[in-house]
Amino acid sequence: MQIRLRLFATYREIVGSRGLTWSARDGITLRELVDGIVAKYPRLADHRGSMLLAVNEDIVSAERVLTDGDEVALLPPVSGGAR
Amino acid sequence: MIDVRRARIDLEAVLDSVRRDDAGAIVLFVGTVRSDEGIRALDYEVYRPMAIKSLTALAEQAKEKFGIAEMSIVHRLGRVPVGGDSVAIACAGIHRAETFAACEWAMDEVKRIVPIWKTEVEGRAKSVRGSR
Repeated sequence: MQIRLRLFATYREIVGSRGLTWSARDGITLRELVDGIVAKYPRLADHRGSMLLAVNEDIVSAERVLTDGDEVALLPPVSGGAR
Repeated sequence: MIDVRRARIDLEAVLDSVRRDDAGAIVLFVGTVRSDEGIRALDYEVYRPMAIKSLTALAEQAKEKFGIAEMSIVHRLGRVPVGGDSVAIACAGIHRAETFAACEWAMDEVKRIVPIWKTEVEGRAKSVRGSR
């Protein structure tokens, strides 16, 4: 199945793309997906502890089972608003 | 009014969007990009659909939590130069105490939970560095 990945800020810089399509086996959990992404982009490993995960625009647990066509976003800690 | 936009924020429009005859107070908070250590601008990156959803929920929570009448939140995305407005929150309530409190709470929540990231843009060399 195909998962659409969205990447922002530091993670976008590490991966070198705002978004890409990731092929995964059926029934994969979000945690397993992120494991695979981190394996391919090891510099993401340092950020794993503070990474927020969203599926289809909602923050979800890493145990969420993904389905074909899901949009997964890896979100760094936010830093919005005025300085 | 909930929006994330590249264009400049029309503060008058944000203010007007919360006006109600039964509200005796309107608080308008404007966050601006301040000059700091050679910074000439901030680049705001936004996960737009999630940010809109999050800002909408936040405004509704503010109404419930503080009993205010209306709240509008508009945030910039893209490059905002020093002195430019990056975020505006307008809040209307019956009295000023809860209206001030709601506006302050909302700004804290925007910084805490809304998926917006900023990068500092330095000097004339156009070098960019992360803000964290």
